[in-house]
Amino acid sequence: MQDIKLRANENRGIHQLESGNDLVGWNEVTQGSILPSFEGNANNIAHLKAEERSYSNHNSYTATVASWRVRKPVFNIDVCIDCQNCWVWCPDSSILSRDKQMLGIDYDHCKGCEVCVEVCPTNPKSLLMFNEHEELGTALSQWPEKKKKEKN
Amino acid sequence: MAEKYDLNEREVWDGNFAASQAMRQAKVDVMAAYPITPSTPIVENYGAYVANGYVDGEFVMVESEHAAMSACVGASAAGGRVATATSSQGFALMVEVLYQASGMRLPIVLNVVNRALASPLNVRGDHGDMYLGRDSGWIQFGAFNAQESYDLALCAFKVAENHSVRLPTMVHQDGFITSHTAQNVYPLTDKAVDDFLGDIKPVDDMLDFSRPVTYGAQTEEDWHFEHKAKQHKALMDSRTVIDEVFEEFAKVSGRKYNRVESYDMEDAEVAIVGLGTTVETARVAAKELRKEGIKAGVVAIRCFRPFPFDLVRDALENVKAVAVTDRSSPGGAMGAFFNEVSAALYSTPKRPLVTNFIYGLGGRDFSIEEAKRIFKEQKAHADAGHITTDIQQFSGLRGPKLGYFQTKRG
Amino acid sequence: MTEIRWHSRAGQGAVSGAKGLGDVVATTGKEVQAFALYGSAKRGAALRAYNRIADEQIFNHAKFMYPDFVLVIDPALAMTDDITMNDKESTKYIITSHLSKEELIDAIPALKGKEDRVYVVDCVQISLDTIKRSMPNSPMLGAFVKISGMFELDYFLENMKRVLKKFPQKIIDANMEAITRAYNEVK
Repeated sequence: MQDIKLRANENRGIHQLESGNDLVGWNEVTQGSILPSFEGNANNIAHLKAEERSYSNHNSYTATVASWRVRKPVFNIDVCIDCQNCWVWCPDSSILSRDKQMLGIDYDHCKGCEVCVEVCPTNPKSLLMFNEHEELGTALSQWPEKKKKEKN
Repeated sequence: MAEKYDLNEREVWDGNFAASQAMRQAKVDVMAAYPITPSTPIVENYGAYVANGYVDGEFVMVESEHAAMSACVGASAAGGRVATATSSQGFALMVEVLYQASGMRLPIVLNVVNRALASPLNVRGDHGDMYLGRDSGWIQFGAFNAQESYDLALCAFKVAENHSVRLPTMVHQDGFITSHTAQNVYPLTDKAVDDFLGDIKPVDDMLDFSRPVTYGAQTEEDWHFEHKAKQHKALMDSRTVIDEVFEEFAKVSGRKYNRVESYDMEDAEVAIVGLGTTVETARVAAKELRKEGIKAGVVAIRCFRPFPFDLVRDALENVKAVAVTDRSSPGGAMGAFFNEVSAALYSTPKRPLVTNFIYGLGGRDFSIEEAKRIFKEQKAHADAGHITTDIQQFSGLRGPKLGYFQTKRG
Repeated sequence: MTEIRWHSRAGQGAVSGAKGLGDVVATTGKEVQAFALYGSAKRGAALRAYNRIADEQIFNHAKFMYPDFVLVIDPALAMTDDITMNDKESTKYIITSHLSKEELIDAIPALKGKEDRVYVVDCVQISLDTIKRSMPNSPMLGAFVKISGMFELDYFLENMKRVLKKFPQKIIDANMEAITRAYNEVK
């Protein structure tokens, strides 16, 4: 149901930021620490979808911070009303949405900050935090029922 | 298309006017400036050239020198030919952004009209501001008169924008002594400048939408060192390009510049090493002393950064005594320039006797007579075989004699 | 090498005068220098401007000089400033004053014994008559042309017209008249 490679280019999140594998000598760093975002001609890039773009290795698209996360948000499409609140608030652009339809979470870049859960207005929420190791199916099977309004 | 500006083969211009004409002829695309004495006319004149249609450029008014250099960084990153001018406190406020510009390898040209740093407030020429830029990663050229402030400004664009250099470049001239002194200047024609410079060929320009780039990346201890080393190498390697550009400029103008200039040094026994207008005054003194039998010569640094360690050594290694002149308050040390020249001479077989003169602060006059006195003192050191005075002395200072440190040799 | 020192007040045009002179001298093929010590000086403050003229490129950048000519374009400064500083036995003085040469030398003890080298002209009055404001620099140039013998008056006037070309014709004409009058009146 939710593929973590959803709408992803082949090179999304392919390298760990702190692995040290990409460290090169002074003779190989870019001039002026200026970093090109794409490979090849990017003239039409604004009209291409993320999964169609030729992101360069300097672009954070190709790096992953998945390991920074202890708990993860899980998305329940059955409850979501596509209000885009989570998309607006996510500080890491990790809510995947297309044509104003919520699709899921970019787990390569999500740091588990929980902001999306906080701003979700549905009842029950369409996004909830689970342990990182929890299976998606298990998480969804534990989804709470709609809360009744408490009487005063 | 810009209006034609009428130029005579021979003009009488001061250093500021000469530099502003170089900005016009170089067709600077963007000048962002916050004018300050004594460099004001450079940016003021460029602004007038824009307003009167003599150059198709943009003059950006900003709220401080920090903002001026920041705007220059932006315009240069966008891909334009960019220049500005400043002095003293303005330069000091710019310093933070100078490091940004060189780190991002942006070929901005900065005309620095050297002026003392407050306090006490002073508008006249000394090299305090120039020294502030010493470690900023910029190329630094020194002009000794109005003609050179023009010539070197043109060379600066060609060096800075060279693809194997891509470093910002300062052209220094002495406040008032050069900037406000009108002298004969022989400008190039607009066409000759066009042919010499051509258009800027941008690198990593942000207005190239086919290749979006990130400027101003953060690099912690795992990356920063490599980037700074690469930048230092670019600055050191720029020496060859500077020599080539000076060579090419000589073909166009008949005026040949060298990273280190030597005058009457072939058989010199004593020498003054200096920066700026002092060099020319000392040349007159050396010529006069030669008539009295003192073999005096002058070594001048045209290219302060990258520092010509080897050329300074070659120029001075056979001299017996050298006076290194610092026109900047040394702030509790030997003069910085003295330290650099001494370090170069330390690896020569004969190790000349080197002394340090602090002089000319806040525009204090440096006369031919004083230059002669300094030469004669060097002659006394040379004859004695050791330094007979304090190693650091003050030249042209009122009050009791001030000096520091004595030699352990001889 | 000919060296000239101007004594003036900020606003009287000594700097423009020195630069204008330099400009004209350069057309004769000589090398020139024109500079002044000012910057934060306000209108009325005493200042000095300098010229050097030589056949070869001028390398000396010191303000210190033994002047061949001292040009004083403010009448009061002639009394209060040290106008004979570093002079030579041949130094010539051209001083703006409404006083006669004898009265002036009586008032300035430092000029005693230099009578044959002192010249007087009322640049202030000449400029008031011609340019209609106190602008004593132009007339001083006329007096200098006469005393120095450096140029023919006509040659100098032609070249000053070029230096002043950005001004309206009326002002150029007034300046030409001022220069000519001082040339004829300096004694």
